Amino acid sequence: MSLFGPGEGTATVGGRELPVDADRARMRAERHARLQDQLAAQELDGLVLLGTSAVAYATGAAMPGCDSGRAALLRAVAVVVAGDEHPHLFTPWPEGAPPGLPADHVHPAAAPDLDDGAAALAASLGVLFAGGSRLGCDEVPHPLARALDGVGARLVPASGVLGPAKLCKTVDELACIRRAQHVNEQAMLDVQPLLRPGVTQTDLSATFLRRVVELGADLNGIDPIWQVMPRSLADGPWTVHGDVAFPTASAPRALAGGDVIWVDTGIHVGGYASDFGRTWIVGDDPRPSARQLEQFDRWRAVMAAVLSVCKPGVSALDLGRAAVAADAARSGGRRPWIEHFYLAHGVGTESAEMPLVGTDLGDAFDEQLVLAPGMVLVLEPVIWDDGAAGYRSEDILAITDDGWAALSDHPYDPFGPA
Amino acid sequence: MTVLEDPSRVDDEALRADRRGRLFAAMGDAGLDALVLGRPAEVAFASGARQLWTAGSRPFGPACVAVRSTGRVHLLSVWDEDVPPEVGHDDLYGLSWNPATIAASLAAIPGLRNARRLGTTSSSPGFPRLLAAAAPDAEVVDGGPALRTARGPKSAAEVDRIAAATGIARTALAAMEAALRPGVTERDLLAAYLAAIAAAGAPTPPTEGVACATPATGPVALRRIAAAVPIEAGQLVALDPGGFFRGYEGGLGRTRAAGGAPSRRQAELAARCREAVGAVVAACWPGATGSDLVAAWEHSGAPLPPEPLAVGVGLGLEPPVVGAGLGAAAVLAAGTVLAVTGWMAEEGAGGVLHRDLVLVTEAEPRLLTEDA
Repeated sequence: MSLFGPGEGTATVGGRELPVDADRARMRAERHARLQDQLAAQELDGLVLLGTSAVAYATGAAMPGCDSGRAALLRAVAVVVAGDEHPHLFTPWPEGAPPGLPADHVHPAAAPDLDDGAAALAASLGVLFAGGSRLGCDEVPHPLARALDGVGARLVPASGVLGPAKLCKTVDELACIRRAQHVNEQAMLDVQPLLRPGVTQTDLSATFLRRVVELGADLNGIDPIWQVMPRSLADGPWTVHGDVAFPTASAPRALAGGDVIWVDTGIHVGGYASDFGRTWIVGDDPRPSARQLEQFDRWRAVMAAVLSVCKPGVSALDLGRAAVAADAARSGGRRPWIEHFYLAHGVGTESAEMPLVGTDLGDAFDEQLVLAPGMVLVLEPVIWDDGAAGYRSEDILAITDDGWAALSDHPYDPFGPA
Repeated sequence: MTVLEDPSRVDDEALRADRRGRLFAAMGDAGLDALVLGRPAEVAFASGARQLWTAGSRPFGPACVAVRSTGRVHLLSVWDEDVPPEVGHDDLYGLSWNPATIAASLAAIPGLRNARRLGTTSSSPGFPRLLAAAAPDAEVVDGGPALRTARGPKSAAEVDRIAAATGIARTALAAMEAALRPGVTERDLLAAYLAAIAAAGAPTPPTEGVACATPATGPVALRRIAAAVPIEAGQLVALDPGGFFRGYEGGLGRTRAAGGAPSRRQAELAARCREAVGAVVAACWPGATGSDLVAAWEHSGAPLPPEPLAVGVGLGLEPPVVGAGLGAAAVLAAGTVLAVTGWMAEEGAGGVLHRDLVLVTEAEPRLLTEDA
């Protein structure tokens, strides 16, 4: 029986089945309603959002994938007015405005990082909001801060609104994540056979990036990672905490037979990110060693333990404890995940978002984080048997009304089947 | 001329030292005791470290701190791989999800606690409180102008890297031209582009908005989101690839007809657009303003392009941004590299995009994107 994959029966979230394809109009409407509910609950007059993923969430706008510097200079901006039926979108890419967004809610691009652009945006905000309004913001560049001073706005973190709205996904959001993951996984079926001595990391990226576009990805979210793992921590790189360094950036570096590769990629479909993680071995006919297979076995045990307790009402701390207990006999009590990361993270319009499980936010944080239907977990346990280069894979699940449902479905070659 | 190789490694020591010198000089001129940087290009400029590339903008956070009294640059990095040696192990602080831990990391940076004037390049509603915990006496000011002063004028070595990045973009342009034939889609051209820059060892794109087919009849618009619609013979297709070389951006935009030569009307439109871009390029002298560039374009009689007419290029895009409602008062300085984008559209012909890179010099505007 497979450890992880589509299960029997019908998974529901809030009594609704997960659709094969997302109803994107319904998805946008439900997200907007959640933002409005949060604005009302927190007595805010609106949101002004600049971050790429926040704009995608609030408006449903499509945008071309851009380098961060470009994305911070020539960006889309979302403005949500409390009580308004639709969000406002200021965008350089009007072709990406979602169908159904009224024309008077689609505006020319704003440039809040420049003095003249910020003044123009502030003038628009002055029309949408009364003086003295309380607005949730994710980023406030200095030019925008100066311009907003002029309209007397009071700014608070937008995370108080976005966080609760995004935490539990709607069934259409889950369908988008599953679709993004499927595109990512399909592309990897064409990449893994290339993993032979002499191929470079960027050769692998070339095939991956071409295939994800052909398969329907909207954009690539991260420079694909094909990290060659050291056998031992002593082989470096040096780290601030002494744990393994991951993920480091790819280069036109040739891979050698027997290299252990930790793969990590993410693409976006409909605004939602995938997160693909596997451990591969370079070779014409790669065969893991007994020690490497032992690590995979431990990884499976950790996954099985976490999955066995994964359902609504269970806390993040419970998940972490189950993971630690499952590997304790062989790890000496070491947590089976990377020191600077987590056992699990959410995924949505951001590649890593709440819920985070096992971070340095600590046990008290994890204890109050209780799983609920619609939450998404990317489980990424890591087994590190020093000298054998470690094992890491990622799988994605959604918390359902009575348990969990897989959103990823990919073999663990060359370590074993799904 | 030396051929630059390896687009993705940590850059040379001399270039790093030059950038760091410019950064601390600009901080001194602006009276900044410390500068807190958040955006990847800023962090790369100050630290020389190569970071993992991710698409899109993220909320501002303290990813790098330059302290003038110590001359040190501190970096958020869990490891020392791709971190140059002048940023030592003591200068690294780890990734954290916990604001209290982040504040403690900042507070431990030597010299930061005593800072009186502290610049940040952006902010968020929660950030000043975090910063106050680390530098309680500091007045927090806009550090953007100081950083722009440091980043704006390019050294010869930086211009070489922009040229090398443009070389990667040219390779990608050739790949897109080879792929362009009736029946392919903009998405196919994007796939060919991404595969080409990755095969050149530099898989990260300045933007994925690199292909726009325009209709030969009816209204014409510049779009940047690739469509899956088959391109027909006779359509003009804007190809606008970019590339990165050790963080520096290059690129060029050209327009081709699908399935053969452009019609006479299309060729005339293309010539007008090229000429108008040439006029803007010719106006790129030290002291020229954004208004001067706009006036040079408007001499063509065409409306301003829907995207900025001119944008600074270096470690990615940077100010100035000149376009409709933007950058009229910006003054060009020698050493600035600008991407000049022209766009002209005509019903019955289609749209023409032409993008060139120009280096502003005291001697003359120097085109970095000459056609072979």
